[in-house]
Parts: sequence; C-alpha cells; structure tokens
Amino acid sequence: MSENSLGQPIPHDEEAVVIVGSGAGGGTLAYELTAKGIPCVVLEAGPYLKPEDYENDEWAAFNQMAWLDNRTASGSFRVARDFPNLPAWIVKAVGGSTTHWSGATPRFRAYEFQTRTYYGEIEGANLLDWPITLDDLAPYYDRAEIAIGSTHRHGRPALPANNNYKVFANGAEKIGYRFYATGPYGTNAEPYDGRPASVQDGFNFQGDKSTAKWSTAVREIPRALETGKLDLRPESQAVQVTHDAQGRANAVLYLDKDGNLHRQAARIVCVAGNSIESPRLLLMSASALHPDGLANSSGQLGRNYMRHTTGSVYARFDRPVRMYRGETMAGIVADEARQDTSRGFAGGYYMETLSLGPAFLAAFVDPGSWGPGYTEVLDAYENTAGLWIVGEDMPQETNRVTLNTALKDQWGLPAPDVHFDDHPNDVAMREHGYSRADLMYEAVGAVGTHHTPPYPATHNLGTCRMSARPEDGVVDKWGQAHDVPGLFVSDGSVMTTGAAANPTLTIVALAIRQAERIADQLGKGEL
Amino acid sequence: MPDNPTTDADRRASLVRLLRAAYPHPKFPDGPYERTADEILSQSQATLWHQLALTNGLDALDARAGGSFADLDDEAALALLKEIEDAEFFVFIRGVAVVTLYNDHETWELLGYEGPSFDKGGYLHRGFDDLDWLPSPRIEEYDGPEQLVEVAPDDMPAATAGDQR
Repeated sequence: MSENSLGQPIPHDEEAVVIVGSGAGGGTLAYELTAKGIPCVVLEAGPYLKPEDYENDEWAAFNQMAWLDNRTASGSFRVARDFPNLPAWIVKAVGGSTTHWSGATPRFRAYEFQTRTYYGEIEGANLLDWPITLDDLAPYYDRAEIAIGSTHRHGRPALPANNNYKVFANGAEKIGYRFYATGPYGTNAEPYDGRPASVQDGFNFQGDKSTAKWSTAVREIPRALETGKLDLRPESQAVQVTHDAQGRANAVLYLDKDGNLHRQAARIVCVAGNSIESPRLLLMSASALHPDGLANSSGQLGRNYMRHTTGSVYARFDRPVRMYRGETMAGIVADEARQDTSRGFAGGYYMETLSLGPAFLAAFVDPGSWGPGYTEVLDAYENTAGLWIVGEDMPQETNRVTLNTALKDQWGLPAPDVHFDDHPNDVAMREHGYSRADLMYEAVGAVGTHHTPPYPATHNLGTCRMSARPEDGVVDKWGQAHDVPGLFVSDGSVMTTGAAANPTLTIVALAIRQAERIADQLGKGEL
Repeated sequence: MPDNPTTDADRRASLVRLLRAAYPHPKFPDGPYERTADEILSQSQATLWHQLALTNGLDALDARAGGSFADLDDEAALALLKEIEDAEFFVFIRGVAVVTLYNDHETWELLGYEGPSFDKGGYLHRGFDDLDWLPSPRIEEYDGPEQLVEVAPDDMPAATAGDQR
C-alpha cells in the first residue's frame, strides 16, 4: 500500500466530505467539520512537514516547502520575465501557505465588499460587489481572530517593537500617520492556545519552528486528527472532480505519491488548493456536461486572478538596524487603506514591515541586476530597514489561470499558466506607496532607498469568484458552485475582489462560515 | 584547438575576476568568489550547451581584453561586462552567482547577518529591539481623537451618500 494516510481511515467508497487542500481554507474547514462530528477526507498534495522539519535557512526552506511543480507566467508583469516558472510563492505541504505566511491579520473594510458601488465603472476592471457584506462576515472574523490568536484583538496583547518596526513606526509618526501598530498579527506575544510566545527568531517565511505563529499545520490539522473523524492523505495530488448523471459532484480522482490513481467517493467536494490550483483542478475536470471546465457556465473560472498590488522599499541608514531580528511583519500602517481617489487611484493599501535575509534580498531586490549599484544595496544590509506595500489590485477578466497544454507537470497533467498585466490603477497605487515609504524613511534619516518590484505572488485570489448571479461568477455567497450541486470552493479563489488586507484572516473567516452552512445543510439532509 | 589552449585554472581565475567586477564588495575576501566560481563551473557541466557557452564566453572576454580579462582594472572590467551584459554565458553566471555568493555563510557574516537563530533562542534576548538611535514607538493601535476616514466624502456613491459613514 503506497498510500500515505493519517488519522481515521475512511473507505474509498464511503461518501465523505472530501476537501482538496489543507491550508487556511481547507485546514480550517476540516477542523470545523470534524469538530462537529462530520467525517472528512483531506487530500493534500504536499508532505506533512512538522515544525522540527522547518529550516532557518531561506533557500533550504524554499526548496523544502515551496510549490515548485511546473508552472508558467505570461503577460507584461515583470515576474513573467524574471521568474517565468514561478508566478507564485506558495507552499506545498500540510498547512498550505499558512506554513510560511507572515501573520498580518487586518479585516477587510466595509466598502471593499462593494467595490462596483464605490469605485464605479473603471475601464478594464471587472468590478463586482460581493454577495455578502462586512456585517455578514463580522461574527466569523471574531472567530477567526480567536482561532489565530491575533494580537490587539480579543484581549491578546501587542507584540513588542523590534528594530525594523522602530524605524517604520517613527517614520510613520513623523509624516503624520496615526494608524500604525505592531499588529493585528497572528503570532503569540504571550503563550496562548497551547502554543508559546514568540522568541523573535526572525523566521516566518520558512515555517515557524517555535509554533508561536498560527498555522493550520500546528492548530487545525492536529486537532482535526484528534477528533477521530479526519482521514488526512498527504502527498495526494487531486486530478479531477467528477459528477454523477444528474450533475452532482460525487468523487475526486487523485494520485498517491507513487502515481497510482485512486477514487474517493464524495457526498460533497470542497476545493481549497489556492487560486492557481483550484481553478486548474476544475478546468481539468471538464466533462460532457461542463465542456469548458467544471462550474464554468459563466466563463469566469480562472479569470479575475488577483495578486495584490505590491512592492517593497529598502532604506539605508548610517547606523545599524538589523531588520532581520524579530517578527518579520509585526508592523502595520493602515492610514492609506481607504478609498480616496484624490490620490489618483481607487482602493487602498497597507504598509507592513518586511525583512529578507541576504540570500533572498540578493535574488529579489532587483532581479537580474548586478554591478556596483546592486552591491551597494547588499553592502548596506546591516543598516537597512524594509517594508512591503500591499494593496487592492483591479480584477481583470484577462488576468487568468489557464491550462498550458504545451507543458506538463511530473504526473503528465497540464501545467497552469498564470497570465497577468498590471492595470493602470495598480501602477498608480504602487507608485504612491513607493513615494510614501520614501517619505517615511527619509523623515528618520534614510541615506537612500531602493524600490523593489513585486515578488512572485504570495497572495493569489479571485479565480473562482463569488457572485449573486450565476452569470457573473463561479460560486454563490456560501462558496457553493452555481452550476454543480455538492461542489464548494473554500479558499481565496472565491474573493470577488481582493481588498487591501492580507487575505488569510478573511479566508479563515469564510471557511468557518462555510463549515457552519455545510454542517447545517448536511444535518437537514439538504446536501 | 589552439596551440596554447587556455587552461581550466586560467578560466577559473578569469571567472573569479569577473565575479569580483560584477559583484564588487570591498569587504569580501577571495573565498566567497572562489566558491561561487566553482559552483558555476560545476553547474555548467550539467549541460553541454552551458559548458560550451561558458568556455567560449570566457575566452572571448580574454580576447576582447587584449589578452587577459583577469589583468584588467576594475573600471575596465566593469565596462567590458556592460558591453556583453546580455550574452548567454554572462546571464548564466549571474543566475548562479546571486543564489550562491549571497547564500554563503562567510558572506552573511561580512554583511552583518547572523543566520539561523531558533537554536540560539531567537533574538528575544539577543538584540531584537536594541536599536537605540530612535525613540521607542507606540506598539498599540491609535486611540486618539482622529478617525480614519474609510471613504472620502467625494467618493461616496451618489445613491447611498448620507447613510454611509
């Protein structure tokens, strides 16, 4: 038997809740459902890495956990040129990208659920109001913050100021910003929920060995296993979601680590593979009934791919900063996270502290660059402070995930292609962010700043968008496919628009809400 | 074959010189550059194409330098590299160099980076907050009189203006 299975075995012919993916969406859903006594099979493409397996080394950790299966990037964004096989930097392991997330947990703002109403018609942007509001999600945001243990929320104390934050917050204050703090942030400042306080070791993107940082790999998955209702199958690559003659989702076909094909019967299927793999799986599940991909009668499947408008600024000082010491992203400025088109763009953005080690800074600070201008940035490493700009990007129909039939993955399946062009609104927002970051750092004595272009995307959103009407999107307000009974999408793919905030908290809140709905419907026999 | 073929040792020396010109760090000794050169030579062996491109490229550099690229001063070496910036062998060299030269523990130390920290208890008691040239900032969220205006008055949708915040 080459199948890798942990927890309570569920027979392949038993119609279970089958969840594809174990990250913020899938891991949360698995815990919430199994805690209510509902048996779940979780198919996770990656291995079950434990905190003791994580490495305090950027490239070693990257090679250990990043999703490195064949992918292509196309379009005019710079990533397509610099990293043509790495459009996104996400994790392939139990816990998904919560393994390497940094931890910032702002909520979406009310207007961000109604961008078509607030932003109006923007040329080239496929704006649409969400079918839910902030009020609908607020109780689930509370539960998500309590699950994650967000600092500054529900009695959780703030993290202390580290060196990078001291520069960041002093600069913010000097230029008149007010809405800055060391959080909300998903890492314990004091012991909480059975996990310790941060030791400020500076490693987040590599997995947190201390477990002070929340991830589904250290909270939801182990707890779901303890319920005796979870069958966790790592190293299991989903290949197709199938449906019965009536069009109802009824099974998932998947490969084990040795490439053997299996069929897991399903009462319902919840797809949570991140916004590249989820639409890829549904596109690969085309059938006679769904010739353009499963749940794609709208034609929106794979479209409206969003990656947030991002950029980084690294500022050099004449005194030491040592930005790498301490929690990577425990510093947030929210003053620009608002709708004010007098700035020259719609939507808002956050600025958040960010640090890379020399290995990653060298690779990402200005890809392809060399010579004295480049080495000057690295020579200043010890005296450097860094921040990340993260804001709402415009959904565009032509930014999309498709199947690249010319390139196969290691299983012979078509690789996904991620096509992306910046919208002019994205460019204007990024430039505004760069200029504000320069002002912040210059206000506290920066001798130079460097503008770093967007990295391979860590925030991948929107390819199975939620819509009130079936013709506008892929899933309804609960994340259930408009076209396919019994098929749910349970990750950031469902986001109608992307808002400015880091998405993990919202993915968790949506998954908790969806789990409540699924349990209720299963209980009533309506699913 | 030329009568006096360039030796592998000569090529390695040229490569080290090239790396120092392309990635000039006055503080770095030869060690990190030599290890990077060895990694480039080793990876070039993986495909015949890279092996040929590297050998031909380094030989061509020598020719353009009027004999030996390794003998050029910094300014002349940099100028020559700028001329051949898009040459395939140089793109290959840079691709390996950025993930090798800066993934070297000696380099980290020279740049002031301390590497793995969890095994040492993190930086909680080792200076995560030792920056002393700026005041200690507030860490809590702002609770003063100013309000963050989520939507500017001019951006209120006409139909709903008045009943939104």
